[in-house]
Amino acid sequence: MRNGEEQLRAMMIAGLGGDPQAHESLLTALVPLLRSFFRRRIRDAEDDAEDLVQETLIAVHNRRASYDRNRAFTAWLYAIARYKLVDHFRRRRRLCPIEELGDILVTEGFEDAIAAVLDLQRLLEGLPAKQARLIRDTKLDGLSVTEAAESARVGRSDVKVSVHRGLKALAARIRGGA
Amino acid sequence: MITADLIRRLASDVRAVPPNVVGQRIAFGILSGAAISLLLVGGLVGIRPDLDVAMRDFPFWVKWAYTVSLGVGAVLTTASLARPESTRPRWLWLLGVPVLLLTAIGIAQMAHASPQDWQALWLGRSWRVCPWIILLLSAPIFVGLLWSFRQFAPARPRAAGAAAGLAAGAWSATLYCLHCPEVSAIFVLTWFSLGMGLAAAAGAVLGRPLLRW
Repeated sequence: MRNGEEQLRAMMIAGLGGDPQAHESLLTALVPLLRSFFRRRIRDAEDDAEDLVQETLIAVHNRRASYDRNRAFTAWLYAIARYKLVDHFRRRRRLCPIEELGDILVTEGFEDAIAAVLDLQRLLEGLPAKQARLIRDTKLDGLSVTEAAESARVGRSDVKVSVHRGLKALAARIRGGA
Repeated sequence: MITADLIRRLASDVRAVPPNVVGQRIAFGILSGAAISLLLVGGLVGIRPDLDVAMRDFPFWVKWAYTVSLGVGAVLTTASLARPESTRPRWLWLLGVPVLLLTAIGIAQMAHASPQDWQALWLGRSWRVCPWIILLLSAPIFVGLLWSFRQFAPARPRAAGAAAGLAAGAWSATLYCLHCPEVSAIFVLTWFSLGMGLAAAAGAVLGRPLLRW
């Protein structure tokens, strides 16, 4: 998922630079993301979901001037998708039961996950490179201590100590509100 | 249409987008609208003949400081609302600072004047027309901003419309200062603010239908 955001953003920026191929790959890569986004929220109408995918693609294309290259691409993308979804419900004048609306607005698993990854990345950036890398390897990518030690070419105890210190520093920072 | 065909069609029309295009389009929209508003000031109400003298005095600069600072704040808010993922800017309360400062100046002026002059300070000679002229002059600037928004993606069209309306109103009031002979702070605080507020309200009403995408 970390690569997802980075790759999409790189394609978007290349497309903004005027590269039609990057733009085409971006739009193509967005189709499965948007399909799952809309299908999860409009379960009964497959055609509507596909229409919304296309409308969102058109908006991503026509309104790409509103993307800020310094910000997260997926946040921008899902803001557009959400706007199109709300617009769809409004047009249909469909009354959405309040519990379901909560689902729609809150259960955005992928989006939340992305946001969490971004927060985590920001936090990890504040650590020494070695600690950040070892935390990423062992806690996020699921490597064992031995595997992480081999890949980073350090001792096993070094891995444990670095991860421990890094996590402690992170905890201190979160408590400090930084 | 099949989604793959749509993508191919969209990708056949890829023009480069400069990095700060939001700011550029907003600036262009406001400046083109303001050029027309300036012509309207000259043609309808006329630029005050003693402008060069007035520009040496304090009241003129109080008025400009008020309208320009609100104009800058409103433009920044508008730019922020042009992006779909933006939440309400955290510094929005700063727009209250010029209002408070002007209130302080107004109170100080009234304290120096005798109470029987207060009404003259408040109503001046042009309170009946001032807000309406500001509203009228804001229309071309608002239209310019509507053009800017054609490539933007405001997720909250009404809020974006209100911000654009306030920006149009504040810059229209800035141009109206070239005509307006009033000197009291309490006048500006009431009637200029009313004009800008009307423009913001009109923007909020028009935002829903006109800024949808």
